[in-house]
Amino acid sequence: MTTPVLAVSGLRAYYRTSAFGVKREVRAVDDVSLAIAPGEIYGLAGESSCGKTTLIKTIAAAIQPPLEVLAGSVIFSFRDRTVDIHGADRAALRDIRWKHLSYIMQGSMNVLNPVRRVRASFVDFAFRHIGRRMPEFLHIVRLHLERLHLAPDVLEAYPHQLSGGMRQRVTIALATVCRPEFIIADEPTTALDVVVQKGVLAMIRDVRQEFGSSIIFVTHDMAVHANLTDRLGIMYGGRLVEEGPTAAIFRTPRHPYTAHLIASLPRLGDLRPKEGLGGAPPNLADPPSGCRFHPRCPLATGQCRRDAPAMVEIAPGHRTACFHADRVSPP
Amino acid sequence: MGRTVLELMHRNRQFAAGVVLLAVVAAFALLSFFSPYNPNDSFVVPPDVPPSWAYPMGTTSRGQDLFWLLTFSIRNTLLFGLTVAAISRVLALIIGLVAGYSGGLVDRALMSINDTFIVIPLFPILVLFYFVMRDHMSWGLLALMMACLGWAYDARLIRSVALSLRTREFTETSIFSGMSTRRILVEEHLPYVLPIVFSTTMNNINWSIGLEVTLSVLGFTDINTPTIGVLIYWANQHTALVAGVWWWIFFPVLLVVLAFIGFFLLAVSMNEYIDPRSRLGRSSN
Repeated sequence: MTTPVLAVSGLRAYYRTSAFGVKREVRAVDDVSLAIAPGEIYGLAGESSCGKTTLIKTIAAAIQPPLEVLAGSVIFSFRDRTVDIHGADRAALRDIRWKHLSYIMQGSMNVLNPVRRVRASFVDFAFRHIGRRMPEFLHIVRLHLERLHLAPDVLEAYPHQLSGGMRQRVTIALATVCRPEFIIADEPTTALDVVVQKGVLAMIRDVRQEFGSSIIFVTHDMAVHANLTDRLGIMYGGRLVEEGPTAAIFRTPRHPYTAHLIASLPRLGDLRPKEGLGGAPPNLADPPSGCRFHPRCPLATGQCRRDAPAMVEIAPGHRTACFHADRVSPP
Repeated sequence: MGRTVLELMHRNRQFAAGVVLLAVVAAFALLSFFSPYNPNDSFVVPPDVPPSWAYPMGTTSRGQDLFWLLTFSIRNTLLFGLTVAAISRVLALIIGLVAGYSGGLVDRALMSINDTFIVIPLFPILVLFYFVMRDHMSWGLLALMMACLGWAYDARLIRSVALSLRTREFTETSIFSGMSTRRILVEEHLPYVLPIVFSTTMNNINWSIGLEVTLSVLGFTDINTPTIGVLIYWANQHTALVAGVWWWIFFPVLLVVLAFIGFFLLAVSMNEYIDPRSRLGRSSN
């Protein structure tokens, strides 16, 4: 295997507040390790408040108090440099961001400043990183838009003149104009209808094909993951519980939570009623002991209540954190 | 820009009326550059002549041609308003944007200063200021003083907008893309608050002109620089109304009221030009 573009190991990021002498700690990301190869689309799935956004914010080093990184490292290996993103100084971060590492924010339809033309946003975010003179820069931007099948006219529009899907695509174009090697996409398809989603997904595939970028793609929509990603990581309660090739995870999930997630998807010809998972997501300020999934898990035993299972490789490239991985029944 | 103004004038009667009124007042102020008299000379024309073809607005009891004197006065008054507005806008923008964007301790410190300025009574302070300065009192000094007292309301308004802008995605993306704080404030947030600032600027001009006239009429300013207020002050000193020299009071008041209405109309209609959302929303109807 080639050197991964991104190597995360043992990452812990907690929200820590201390108000009126009461200390609170929300363990939003707890002991997460993962690696992403060049040109790979890595999906990150999980229910709301399971720490997906916190994880990628930490990966991008876009964190502010009260969020703190307590342990672990996030190391990017770009073509020309290796950066430990939490050890790097601000100048180094400024250098790599947008040019090597770019971020499509959650709710990214609002990334464009509503009172400025789209062109101004391109100039603000990317001009310095490309480092050319203005006419040349605008030429590059136009070529880039054309390559992504967007009319260069959008540059002269205000964001409110564009439809939601159009805005989303412009945002992706904006995040990829510097041909970054790594793109973090936080729910870029969530607020869109399926037709527009299809266009956006095609665009993300184009980006990967054209620029060879690695992408970490976050959404709770399993159908999108099945459609787009090469590998999939499932998060639950701030931890990575299963990781493997997308096809393998859909065919043979090895963690009870993943199995439930996949069983909840509608299938052609399947007339059985779908059952929701009982219980509620864990409170990360006071997570359950042992395996964080045990209060909702049908396979839970005494061991699950006591010890936290580690990620174990059970098939090539397929890891899961469950003591009873062999008892998980495929959907 | 020119086309937009024409289009706005065509579409929006309030804007058109405001522009016409202010154009008249401004043209009148510009006439001061062609005045045959020095505004501080007195007894250059026969005193107390009612409006006539020779003296369109009559003459004052001090032997000044009111028409030409008024051109100087309205020029100084308008300049006064613009100066106060410009200085206080800069203060309000800097303090409002920085407080809103920084939050935390900076915000609390700046806003406690801000609130102090909101609650202190302006008028007694300005009068006190006059009594302290006395002979050193000048037009520019008063403008600076009023600007220092007039920024607080707008700074609070701008801060409230900046607070919400701080959490918007485009701010986060700007930070992520490596823009400096100064550039984020100037390039991303400033355009957002400009519509508010433009319309409050007009109100601020009106406020400062009104206060200046009030202070001048009572004689609490430099009474040797002709402004609308100073003109009325001298008219009162010569008991113009009792003496039947009504034009000495009537024309200055008329002119300043026209300017007031002009600024007010602009303030209420300005948003349509400044804010692309409302502008385009309208043109697509």
